[in-house]
Amino acid sequence: MSQKKSALWTTEARLAYLVLFPSIAVLTLFMFYPILYVFLMAFFKTNKLGNIVKFIGVGNFLFLFKNKAFWEVTLRSILWTVIAVTSKTVTGLIIALLLNVEFVGRRLSRTLVIIPWASSVPVSAMLWQWTYNSEFGLLNYTLKATGLWDNPPLWLAYPRSAFFANVYVDIWIGIPFMAMVFLAGLQAIPKHIYESAEVDGASAWVRFWYITLPMLKRVLLIATLLSSLWTFNDFNVIYILTKGGPVNKTDILITFIYKYSFQFLKFGPAAAMAVITFIILLVVSLIYARFYFRSIEL
Amino acid sequence: MKNKVRFRILVYLLITTIVFILLFPFFVAVSTAFKDLDEVYSTPPHWIPHRIAWENFKHIWQKYPLAQYFLNSFIVASGATLLTAVLCVPAAYAFARLRFLGRKLFLFMLLVVQMFSPIIVVISLYKIVVALHLIDTRTSLILVNTVFSLAFAIWMMNGYFSTIPKEIEEAALIDGCTRLQTITRITLPIAMPGVVTVIIYTFIFAWNEFMFALTFINSIEKRPLTLGLYNFVGRWQVSWQYLMAAALLAIIPVILLFMVIEKKLVQGLAGGAIKG
Repeated sequence: MSQKKSALWTTEARLAYLVLFPSIAVLTLFMFYPILYVFLMAFFKTNKLGNIVKFIGVGNFLFLFKNKAFWEVTLRSILWTVIAVTSKTVTGLIIALLLNVEFVGRRLSRTLVIIPWASSVPVSAMLWQWTYNSEFGLLNYTLKATGLWDNPPLWLAYPRSAFFANVYVDIWIGIPFMAMVFLAGLQAIPKHIYESAEVDGASAWVRFWYITLPMLKRVLLIATLLSSLWTFNDFNVIYILTKGGPVNKTDILITFIYKYSFQFLKFGPAAAMAVITFIILLVVSLIYARFYFRSIEL
Repeated sequence: MKNKVRFRILVYLLITTIVFILLFPFFVAVSTAFKDLDEVYSTPPHWIPHRIAWENFKHIWQKYPLAQYFLNSFIVASGATLLTAVLCVPAAYAFARLRFLGRKLFLFMLLVVQMFSPIIVVISLYKIVVALHLIDTRTSLILVNTVFSLAFAIWMMNGYFSTIPKEIEEAALIDGCTRLQTITRITLPIAMPGVVTVIIYTFIFAWNEFMFALTFINSIEKRPLTLGLYNFVGRWQVSWQYLMAAALLAIIPVILLFMVIEKKLVQGLAGGAIKG
């Protein structure tokens, strides 16, 4: 590290800029610039082509704040994320603990558990759409035939059941990732810690609470953060299963943004919602970062 | 001892239930893919087809441009993968090895953009794609899929390069290798597992992408597989048996590929957290 920091235009720096140029150019044109443009659009009136017409300050935001559907959709996005991420985390942890036990057929179970993650999300959503079908679908038929649920709802027909049907698919897609990351975390915990705890007479619950969970803390934090971002941004499941219907009752911010821009052609409010989405996710990430760095210090 | 047996039985019971629940829609897909139309639309539905309708797997190729969809997905995914690999390796190397002004800022920006869902960007990206006359082209999909894999790819390769000791390269330089030779003969081979992970990650991402295709592609003959399948769900009666048969064909290769590389993907994502 004997580099002089003041030398900006060293051979090394020149080489770096040269090598980086293609990547930076592509990212600027297709990522940084569009992001900036969305932030700009949020404060302007736009026409149906998405061109900026007139500066209106926070007009788009005021339009949204007065709109009851916007508040419903925002609340639903948060509910959607909280329910889905909690369920994925708990189920993923249970599966990881099970797969960490040595038993015959463990490798096979592990392979089978991954499948929903490996399958493409849009295609999975289509499979579920048919599975949920109220008349010909095999889900309700099986629930009734096995006596698990005598009178299951017509899943995609009513707001509440459609919401849960959507959440369930999102959870179903996300469980394998959680399980595998937790399993990797569990396997990184040295075996001898458990052994000495067992010698000291610690029960399985005590071992889980005082060894497993603290040792998994970092993995838990990173996995739930990633999962929160992905879940909040999940477009495919809702768009394919219900298109946000019936009457916007299963829309979350992400699908609402898409509707506002490409269906209603109201790009200004859509951009404003995009900015709000970004702020929400930024706040969540910052809170996580705080927790994460605190856990590293310990 | 008795306790242990009981514990074992419990584990098997739970894992079997979980696997069954997780695979449920795939069982549905297999069941439906082998039914004919009358059986698909019979009430009450049934699991085992009365007659195995093998012809479904022939008809999907005749009734829909499925081969074209596969080809389009393949073109888009390979194009994006190639472009991402070519762009991310030198960029990541520069971040890991070279000192220059703005290095930290660029790295930070690559992290921040991860927080933007493609949906947020697509509002204005659409305009750019139109302005470049790339609307309704596979090139547009190659480009956007590259961009949305690139930030992650650079981050990951940066991590890989950083773990390779500098001393190895310095030794090669002293022995008379040029910088380029050092990279191509020493550093890159060591970082190959990282490159492979990036390649597979990008390929799967692009293969499964749906929203950009939905927004940018109009012509039937340019649709990738995901969008093509989505359009099976037509306005009138849906031929679910065809959709399920085609869906199985579409996901089985990816599932197989995924099983091979899953460990690497998890390590890539969780590695930093575990090693700490």
